[in-house]
Amino acid sequence: MIEIGHFAAILAFALSIAQGIQGLRGQQSAAATLALAAFAAMALAFGTLIYAFIRSDFSVALVANHSHTLKPFLYKIAGTWGNHEGSMALWCLVTLGFGAVASLSLKTNRPVFEARALGVQGWVGAGSLAYLLFASSPFLRIDDPPLQGASLNPLLQDPALALHPPLLYLGYVGYSFVFALAAAALIDGRVDRAWAKTVRGWSMAAFAPLTVGILLGSIWAYYELGWGGWWFWDPVENASLMPWLIGAALMHSLIVTEKRGSFAVWSVLLAVLAFCFSILGAFLVRSGILTSVHAFAVDPTRGFVLLNGLLLFGGAALALFAVRAHKIKGGPAWTAISREGALMGNNLVFAVVTATVLLGTLFPLIAEGFGRQMSVGEPYFRLTFVPIMCLAMVALPVVQAWSWGKMQVDALWKWVVAFVGICIAFALLGVGVFDIPLFAGLGVGLGFWLVGGSILELKRRAIVWPRVFSLPARVWGMTLAHVGLGLFTIGAVVETSARYETTLDLALGEQAEIAGWTVEFDAINTVEGPNWYADRATLSVRRLSGAPITLEPDKRYYPAARMPTTETAIHKGVVGDLYLALGDRRVIDGQVRWTFRAYYNPLIDLVFLGVMVMAIGGVLAVVKRPARQKAGVKSADAVAAE
Amino acid sequence: MKALLLSLIFIAQSGSVTLSQSEEARAQALMREIRCVACENEPISQSASDIAENMRVRVRTMVAQGASDQQVRDWFAGRYGEFVLFRPKAQGPMDYLLWIGPFALLLAGAVLGFGILRQREAPVAEIESVAPEDLADSS
Repeated sequence: MIEIGHFAAILAFALSIAQGIQGLRGQQSAAATLALAAFAAMALAFGTLIYAFIRSDFSVALVANHSHTLKPFLYKIAGTWGNHEGSMALWCLVTLGFGAVASLSLKTNRPVFEARALGVQGWVGAGSLAYLLFASSPFLRIDDPPLQGASLNPLLQDPALALHPPLLYLGYVGYSFVFALAAAALIDGRVDRAWAKTVRGWSMAAFAPLTVGILLGSIWAYYELGWGGWWFWDPVENASLMPWLIGAALMHSLIVTEKRGSFAVWSVLLAVLAFCFSILGAFLVRSGILTSVHAFAVDPTRGFVLLNGLLLFGGAALALFAVRAHKIKGGPAWTAISREGALMGNNLVFAVVTATVLLGTLFPLIAEGFGRQMSVGEPYFRLTFVPIMCLAMVALPVVQAWSWGKMQVDALWKWVVAFVGICIAFALLGVGVFDIPLFAGLGVGLGFWLVGGSILELKRRAIVWPRVFSLPARVWGMTLAHVGLGLFTIGAVVETSARYETTLDLALGEQAEIAGWTVEFDAINTVEGPNWYADRATLSVRRLSGAPITLEPDKRYYPAARMPTTETAIHKGVVGDLYLALGDRRVIDGQVRWTFRAYYNPLIDLVFLGVMVMAIGGVLAVVKRPARQKAGVKSADAVAAE
Repeated sequence: MKALLLSLIFIAQSGSVTLSQSEEARAQALMREIRCVACENEPISQSASDIAENMRVRVRTMVAQGASDQQVRDWFAGRYGEFVLFRPKAQGPMDYLLWIGPFALLLAGAVLGFGILRQREAPVAEIESVAPEDLADSS
């Protein structure tokens, strides 16, 4: 069975090469047919892999190494992509999937351009498949199949994490087609407003799943790893953040290219870079040159192959860019105080913070080359990334109302007064009432400034409140994305500055106090699951004189993988989570005590909610206005313009 | 200094220390920026390993004795190497690249961006001002 899959993957490889050749020759219909055929072959190949996992066919090396008969059915399926080879197979499937969808839905009235885009996508697919088949084949058998599999990393047996890689790959690989559209435009030497409109849709098809994928990874890390945190500035997290930041920059830049025709060269460059950073991310994660808690299945030689792929595709695109950039026309003139100027500032900030993340992530590696062992972590990014990002967030509510071309700014002092007022109010409130540091108070103020500013802009465009619902979807999308950023800021600032964490050593029956909660250790039992057993602690927690709530954190052990995991117990309060993770059993002064990691995470849900709102806003921003609008009815938009 | 270290070790062994609320907050912030030497890329605040526990006790003890944040960082860097600091030092030229690089890039980008703009600039009177709304859905 797996041999059929192997053959189908080789077929998909051949078809992708044919698609690449036909596409670059400008044969649109041939390239489109080949793209569909290649995807069908790859889907069959991937199907045989899933089938082998469902059947627990341990004669397949991948299944033997990464599955187990006792594993729940859905995690057997998720196990297909929960490892290096399988995840690369998923990468290939998604790459060819984007090619297939594009061959059906790309409508630009420029068949040669479409053919070239499909051609570039074909070469990206062929490159990915070559890597899969020759450097990390999942289709290999073993001569002497074991009776039982070696199980999946139990940390990965989790619904959020089963979905996390496919979504992240939709994002990463989604930028491959954005890259293909940019390369095709460079071959033509033509980047116009229609191109930008097409690319905006495709870049959102990558950006939204990338956002949700990162979000799921963060939620998973929060409740599964038992650290009580949600973002660690870990190299692997940074690897996914960089394409996201470039993607966000691209979306803003494309607005200018679509509406005015300006920033065309810059948009093309970002479209190329978004995919380069996606491959770079895969390289950093897969090569294992950066130590990380998240990376699974790393292999330096595979990383080397990926690096070459990055240099090949990225280098070719950038060379093409250097040759053709001068042919691309700009838009009408504009001054610094204008919508173009504001969006240039936005892109400058996004570019600089991306470079900062890259610098901080790679710096320990560079230092090692100079014989120095060092670390770059959260404090560095807090002192560089955060203040630079704040510049954009302070400016946003003011500049989002600016006109294209030039802008007469007359009431700037009102904005300054409002901003200073908010800052002072929140600084006093933070330091005085909530007892958080001064900068945290200012940060919360900035979050409210963003939320309030975005809502006021919505009102400004609608003129009167009832009209806000007839505003076009993309205005709502913009508003939601910016409100989401504001909510995220409030949550992130409060969570990081007012989070309380401690370690408790409790004997049975003992009590402890954390952040206003009383925690009592009632019992400890041994429980058994389908493929694990665990120590389960029972604690009753209550706030002041409230009713006690039972929390049961587990410390699980997966015998097949010989690996312990923590299953945290989280009580969701109104303003924050009480979070308990069970640690080790210790004997202290002859008394048996259990260690607990206890956290109080205020407003943690706002962090996740904010990111989700951003993703929803992003999707709305590319929704087309329905064509059925009556000609006689003026939209709020048109009214606002008068 | 040696006497101070010895006394620290003594206090660390003798068990937990009690900190005021602000001292505890400071200690926790420090624990988040000191890397556990036995784990992969984890600060001592997050690690469950024994050595991280010892390192946490050391942070609390030093804070209780009135050591400044920088003194705590320096002590750990001296004891375990620069590797344990998630907040890298800013001493050599290489560190300046790391710390000043992002801000220099921001400045350079702004100068470059507005420089290009100035070069191309048409007379302001000739530039048309277009409200964003009427282009919002022209398509």
